[in-house]
Amino acid sequence: MYNANIPSPAELPTSGQLLRSTAIAAAAAAVLLVTVVLPAEYGIDPTGVGKVLGLTEMGEIKASLAEEAAEDARAARELPVPAIPAPERRSDASGSPASSLVSRVAGLVVSTAAAAPPVPAIPGEAGLAATAVAQTAKSEQTSVTLRPGEAAEVKVRMRQGARTDYSWKAEGGVVNHDTHGEPFDAPDKTLSYRKGRGVESDQGTLLAAFDGNHGWFWRNRGDKEVTVTLNVNGEYTDLKRMK
Amino acid sequence: MLAFTSLDAQAHAVTQGDKGYIQEITGIHLLPFVYLGAKHMVTGYDHLLFLFGVIFFLYRPRHIGIYVSLFALGHSTTMLLGVLFDTNVSGYLIDAIIGLSVVYKALDNLGAYQRWFGFQPDTKAATLVFGLFHGLGLATKIREYEVSPDGLVPNLLAFNVGVEIGQLLALAAILIVMGYWRRTASFWRHAYTANVAMMSAGFVLIGYQLTGWAVAS
Repeated sequence: MYNANIPSPAELPTSGQLLRSTAIAAAAAAVLLVTVVLPAEYGIDPTGVGKVLGLTEMGEIKASLAEEAAEDARAARELPVPAIPAPERRSDASGSPASSLVSRVAGLVVSTAAAAPPVPAIPGEAGLAATAVAQTAKSEQTSVTLRPGEAAEVKVRMRQGARTDYSWKAEGGVVNHDTHGEPFDAPDKTLSYRKGRGVESDQGTLLAAFDGNHGWFWRNRGDKEVTVTLNVNGEYTDLKRMK
Repeated sequence: MLAFTSLDAQAHAVTQGDKGYIQEITGIHLLPFVYLGAKHMVTGYDHLLFLFGVIFFLYRPRHIGIYVSLFALGHSTTMLLGVLFDTNVSGYLIDAIIGLSVVYKALDNLGAYQRWFGFQPDTKAATLVFGLFHGLGLATKIREYEVSPDGLVPNLLAFNVGVEIGQLLALAAILIVMGYWRRTASFWRHAYTANVAMMSAGFVLIGYQLTGWAVAS
């Protein structure tokens, strides 16, 4: 080797020095593992040091995100993919699980509109037109209260190209939000229209990119209760809280 | 349907791990960012490989200190500037250059430049210059994390402090292992092979990143 200066034995650490260094390194690693790594990665904080350092919160958030992702994956597996777009499905009144008065009314509106002309089972010109009639000029307000760490989702059903104006405001704090949609024929996929962190309010127009559930996800990462009030106005059906 | 190409494969786009955590927080969180910086360095095999090459033939603590400080100066500079000025360089290309830095250092350790060109390029300057590229790589990673603009600069400085702490931790571990190794009679026989293996790892990193770049663009 051309480049290296061969050291004299005196320049190398002694065996005793090396063993001592190894012991110190192992002890330091053990302390770091218990006070820093376990709190920050898993929220496991046996000494309480992680909480003081603010690292336990990181581990807890990571753990809750992992749990939610697993839950989402499970829900997506169990959710039957509808063969036809859901608004048409609602015309089968007996089978529709009307969970609220709002959605029952919406179901009636859609089914009336859908029953009048023969509506194709697949989304087509006629189907869209019929739904557009059913989805005009709706306006509603709803609110959800979130404890610290809690999340909620409010969704509406929209056809591709439909528009819904919305505005929401958080009282008592700020929230993280994700305005997004999931197609009926691929409910395990999601499209995010707009995201934000530590936001007090937001407004805009949701322009549906596909037939599906579209809506708002909020999470309260603060330490006080927050109430989010949402106003929507546009071409949608079935405003309801999903979770 | 065009829209589907931009759909995330996960309902609600739940991002997990460090990125998920960062996307859930706003404001100043100094110690968590110190932790993330240190974690990034300790688990960043490309940085570790380069660092390993840099100290391979350094024995005196003073020399190690000088080279590691030059590397730190380089990567801190571009990491901070890269994030603040929002540089838009492909992460793949930067990481390919980081792979190249490993190959360069391995050849340097083998004495290849003296043998081939009859002169020794300044090892300190090379450490600083490649440090600048490693910093751009760090900046790209941080940009992928989408750190909230609220508290960005303090958090970034904390991340940088963490990077240096992580570098010292990794260095301590490398030096202890090398301490044992250097004392063995076979070190000088294995040193050559070790640098060839390191060069090979550098080539793998280059190929891996360039392929990623080709596939992504």
